Amino acid sequence: MNRFLAMDALRKWVPLLVLVGLCLFFTVVNPNFLSLRNFARIAISATPALMVAVGVTFVILMGSIDLSMEGTVAVCAVLFALALNALGGSIAGWGWVAIPGALLVGAALGAVNGMVHVMLRIPSFMASLSLGFVGIGLSLLITGGNRILIDDPLFRSLLTVRVWGFPLMAYAALGCLLVAWFIQDHTTMGRNFYAVGGAEDLARASGLDVGRLRIIGFVLAGVFYALGAIFAVARLGIAETETGRNFMFMSITSVVVGGTALRGGAGGVWNTLVGVLIVNVIGNGMVVIGLADYFQDGVLGLLVIAAVYLSTNRQSLSFVK
Amino acid sequence: MSFIKEYVERQTLHRRNLLLMSAYGLCGAVLGAAAGPGRAGAVTANPRIAWSYRDRTNPYWNAIVSGGNAFVRSLGMPESALINLINEGSSEKSLADIQSLLSRYGSGVALAVDPNDMPNCRPVVEAVSKAGAYVSTIWNKTDDLHPWDFGDNYVSHMTWSDVGPSEQTARVLFDAMGGKGGVVHLGGIASNNPAIERLAGFRNALKAYPNIQLLAVQAADWDTQKANQVMSGFLTRYGDSIKGVHCASDTMAYGVIEALRAEGIEDMPVVSYDGNPQAVELVTQGKILATVFTNPYWAGGITAALAYYAATGAFKPSAEPHEHREFLGPTILVTTKDAREFKARYIDTNPQYDWKNFWALASK
Repeated sequence: MNRFLAMDALRKWVPLLVLVGLCLFFTVVNPNFLSLRNFARIAISATPALMVAVGVTFVILMGSIDLSMEGTVAVCAVLFALALNALGGSIAGWGWVAIPGALLVGAALGAVNGMVHVMLRIPSFMASLSLGFVGIGLSLLITGGNRILIDDPLFRSLLTVRVWGFPLMAYAALGCLLVAWFIQDHTTMGRNFYAVGGAEDLARASGLDVGRLRIIGFVLAGVFYALGAIFAVARLGIAETETGRNFMFMSITSVVVGGTALRGGAGGVWNTLVGVLIVNVIGNGMVVIGLADYFQDGVLGLLVIAAVYLSTNRQSLSFVK
Repeated sequence: MSFIKEYVERQTLHRRNLLLMSAYGLCGAVLGAAAGPGRAGAVTANPRIAWSYRDRTNPYWNAIVSGGNAFVRSLGMPESALINLINEGSSEKSLADIQSLLSRYGSGVALAVDPNDMPNCRPVVEAVSKAGAYVSTIWNKTDDLHPWDFGDNYVSHMTWSDVGPSEQTARVLFDAMGGKGGVVHLGGIASNNPAIERLAGFRNALKAYPNIQLLAVQAADWDTQKANQVMSGFLTRYGDSIKGVHCASDTMAYGVIEALRAEGIEDMPVVSYDGNPQAVELVTQGKILATVFTNPYWAGGITAALAYYAATGAFKPSAEPHEHREFLGPTILVTTKDAREFKARYIDTNPQYDWKNFWALASK
């Protein structure tokens, strides 16, 4: 029994151990990996993905899934860039309005997503996947397939200005992560996400309005997708339909690798931080050690399976679907 | 917001037409089989003009379509007369859409198409020639398939050879590096023909510059974000020994430039390919040293024009020499010296083309 408990306590730390192990491995192969400048590079590529993954963490904690992030990120990025340019092109002037504007757009898209799921009783998997396609179509309609450039030096300082070696966007994302952690651990809403994910029938029986909570969860996710969109635009200075590309795989993988259970009720935003770092360390490390590119996708897939296997307690699962 | 409404209406109409076409197509296929072939070679006074291509998310296909629209306007028709078939990167959808179109309009179709991948070209061409319609293709075709084996119905095939131009951009890059130092190459999806050719051109140039050291070749899948990540990985791995970057497309160069900017590196020589408006702008600023323009606007117009004028009988493809039926499209190297002039001529406006002068810009 003691041994079992010890295993269980250890398993909580497995994602972090995997992260440390990966860093050690890449460092042994190429010592350049272990440098402040490289960690800053990993932070830059992880920042937009972290916001999107934190958003979907809330939904996954409730035992639902949200696959609309690519569409939502694309629409938010494109509208943010259009608004910023239309309002003078600088966040020093009226352009700052584009930031809350983008968050509102994200919230609205999340609300639609949640309502379609809850009110039409369509499984979240299908509802969000479909709305993701709608989002991609919408962003295409808005841009006509073109790219929108952001030249505002103040906004781009998120990428170009560094404090203690890390760009400003890394600190901004850290701030957003703390807010997400506060919501998760210190608000009724956050605790209710766990309740619904852990045992929905009990939550319902104790008088919780599960439908309303789910919609709120999707709205919250939408806001974080919008933050991800803003950081993605800050990173490249370009907003386009393609801005949303690859976020679905990146974020869901990160959440799962970090140890948040897809069945809901266990895990959280710190797990997601570790998961995002694992996925980005793998992406960066494979280039740094010079792994041939036709291996890279395959190795990423295998590492993800290994990480999930290690971080979930198989014995506690009665069935796997 | 009226443009959105207009766009939605137009798309609804297209979708409705396509559904009708598909339904009609099922009946038409039965009738067609009953009547038997033998209608090939029929010349139509007023054929429907269609463009089948991948998507609208990228500037290249947008330019192709605006060329197609310009051609349709030159006939005195509205742009909505051009039927857009978007295959979204699926060969199956590409073929199915074309079959629906043929069932609806039969031999009265002038089709311009990029068949999405090489094997799909044959079924597309066979379907069109069976219906007695006319098709011109670009980019994807297997080597054993030739327009002249299909009489008049397979009008022409245009493709681009990227080896030479890619070698030229590499030479511009190496000269800017002073003929020495380490270089990295970011390539497209490894199995894509343009990615293979552009890498081959780059390697050809390397032979002439013995003091240039090739550090790494890595696919970044034509993707800005992936290129950004790959470039930052390269910076960790090679650090200051990288003296130049060769990109197989403009979209990847944008990611590279941003990865460099994040490190405060502003003067690294970078070259790219495709001649997109944003890249040409960067060439005028000296942030990219060279790119290659393949004139998709002209290609979009002329490919539709070839199919159209063959369908109306204005010219007889089978009377043309082979080099008029398989030819290479234009490539123009854009460097910092001529970027402004080039931009004024090709990006800010489009030159007036004579859509009946089919081979005016062909390379071969």
